[in-house]
Amino acid sequence: MRAITPSSGGSVPVARRQLAAEPAKLIVTLVAVAAAVALVLLLSGLRRGMGEQVTLYIDHQAPVLVGQRGAHDFLSQTSVLPEALTGEIARVPGVAEATPISQQYAMLQLHGRRVLTLLIGYTPGKPGGPWRLTSGTAPRASGELVLDRVLASEHGLRIGSTVEYRGARLRVVGLSSGTSGFMTPLAFTTRTTANALSRQPGMVNFFLVRPQLGVPPATVAARINRSVMGVSALRRTEVAANDRRLFIDPFSGPLLAMVAIAFAVAILVIGLAVYSSTAERSREYATLKALGLRQRALLRLVGAQAVGLALTGTALGIALAFGAAGSISAFAPKYLIAIGTGSVVAVAVSALVMALIAALVPARLLARLDPASAFRR
Amino acid sequence: MSVPLARRQLLFRKSRALAGLAGIAAALLLVLALKAIFAGMEGRLTAYIDRSGADVIVAQRGVDTMHMTQSALPARTAWAIASLPGVAEAKPILYVPAMVEHGAERGVVYLIGDDSGGAPLPLATGRRPGSGEILLDRVVAQRLGAEPGTTVRLLGTSFRVSGEVSGLTLITNSFAFVRRQDLARLLRSRDVVSYILVRARPGISAGKLAARIDTSVPGVTASTRQAFARSERRVVGDMTTDIVRAMILVGLVIGVAVAGLVSYSATLSQLRDYAVLLALGLRAHRALTIAVAQVGATVAAGFLLALALVWALAAILPSLTPTLVLTIRAADVAQALGLAAGVALVAAAFPVLRVAGVDPASVFRR
Repeated sequence: MRAITPSSGGSVPVARRQLAAEPAKLIVTLVAVAAAVALVLLLSGLRRGMGEQVTLYIDHQAPVLVGQRGAHDFLSQTSVLPEALTGEIARVPGVAEATPISQQYAMLQLHGRRVLTLLIGYTPGKPGGPWRLTSGTAPRASGELVLDRVLASEHGLRIGSTVEYRGARLRVVGLSSGTSGFMTPLAFTTRTTANALSRQPGMVNFFLVRPQLGVPPATVAARINRSVMGVSALRRTEVAANDRRLFIDPFSGPLLAMVAIAFAVAILVIGLAVYSSTAERSREYATLKALGLRQRALLRLVGAQAVGLALTGTALGIALAFGAAGSISAFAPKYLIAIGTGSVVAVAVSALVMALIAALVPARLLARLDPASAFRR
Repeated sequence: MSVPLARRQLLFRKSRALAGLAGIAAALLLVLALKAIFAGMEGRLTAYIDRSGADVIVAQRGVDTMHMTQSALPARTAWAIASLPGVAEAKPILYVPAMVEHGAERGVVYLIGDDSGGAPLPLATGRRPGSGEILLDRVVAQRLGAEPGTTVRLLGTSFRVSGEVSGLTLITNSFAFVRRQDLARLLRSRDVVSYILVRARPGISAGKLAARIDTSVPGVTASTRQAFARSERRVVGDMTTDIVRAMILVGLVIGVAVAGLVSYSATLSQLRDYAVLLALGLRAHRALTIAVAQVGATVAAGFLLALALVWALAAILPSLTPTLVLTIRAADVAQALGLAAGVALVAAAFPVLRVAGVDPASVFRR
């Protein structure tokens, strides 16, 4: 806080004293700024978390994905290929293993609520299944299901429970962890079961391809595209980027609008607090002006108050955001709030900008203040 | 003669009153805009079903939605349904999500393989698709730069754009129509359909026909168009409940903080006025009423401003981003009003506590 130094030598921390004069107002201001800052961080963290969760499945799979020709992504479009292509892809030089999987969105009705899951059908013992089982076993027989454990606990499902889907009764045989995708937790069954539900026997949605040691995924993808008719082979990272773009971009506009509103609210709150304290003390400021305090020093005083409020509110907001993110991951783990260092730095820098903007109105008030007004009345 | 104390005190510092109003409006706008976006999504979600001309929609057993849903029925099911009494038409369709590409541009669509080429949806331009052709929604066609006559790629195959329909584009995707045989070939799907759209003969209600299909045809779920559309809307509702709740909480916190701050600082600057009024004989409860009235008026004005802003957004945004439709529902406005009342109630506590502690004698000190 800026201190005003009288000619006698001692200094008076005017900015701090003025802010602390009304503790209730100070607390309300800081809470409001902290809430707005936390909102900005949580929304940007949610967007980042969405990006990480969208590609959760393929991030854990082989480096190359093969789909129907024209397939660019894993989640938004249909890809249907004959199972007979397995051998053809496996014979391409540089391919260590080609594994067929089935994939479909499954709209489950649990407790009268619609819950969307991404149902993966894979061959037992082969890649493509759950990577971490917390209890039970992987699906082996027809009609067996592994559910994300967060989804299961939200709906009171446990091993042995049954879930009705597309006219079939699927029995939960295992629970997986780390499989809570963005709005779509993962579920796993055998490929035979998935194909029977879709009435697509002998069909595959994608092939997961593992290159031989030392062969770059891009090389394998290019070779498959050249050698196998009617398919699109892409590196996993390309597919993930396409998925993220398709799922996250449409939500970016509304999210950014909300971040902008939160930012505007924070500026408003700081501005209000500093303005009202300046307006209430205009007589004191006029006295200081009449005693010879320069205009610049008065402006610094207002600026110091605004910066103090912004930085303290921001620090509280950052702490609040991390606390809230921690609570969300504990109580609603399906939402991943990934607050990045970049966002924290951006918010801290924005806080200074907020303070400067918020100090503009009271600064105008001070500039117009007549020192003679201190002696009137 | 009476003096409008609450109004005069509120408007004494106009910029502070305006800033408070703007802050409360921003907080309420957060909630109203989000609800309007989701309501708009819900409305568009059922645009195809609403205009499909079907009285009953038949899907695989247990399925009563289309959005992000899969359904597979044997093709013969359509014949079985068509032979039931009361059925005027049973139209099978194939339905899959797909990516339409034109040059470097891509757009996700729900692709419908339909022998009627999307009828009875009205055409905006062009004609119904024949074999090797596709009917696109106008927004997607414009985004891809694919006017009628141009060629687009779909599941690795070229299709010529035959015409356009309108009003079927959602925030994330749209609808497009091709011939069923074309889509069946692309999907390597033999004798399988996704849904059957059923028209009832005059004299039989959709509900009765749906019940008849359910009991007569094994392995299916038949829903009236209205029930099906309700289920579709619930998908959005169920998937977004948590986000909406969180946003309402945030709106409440910000609203209370702004309204509380404004009213508290306004009251602080008027404490001496209150002391004078109390010394002149103003009853304590009247002083409190004035303080509460100021908060109530600020919050009410903020609510009206937020409402005006969301209405303006609903009018302007669709022309800027045609996929973003904002629908303002009476229930959502009522909810925001309830939120505003909550904000006013909590925020009023700040000035009330301060005014209640004012000593009338303080005006004679100093």
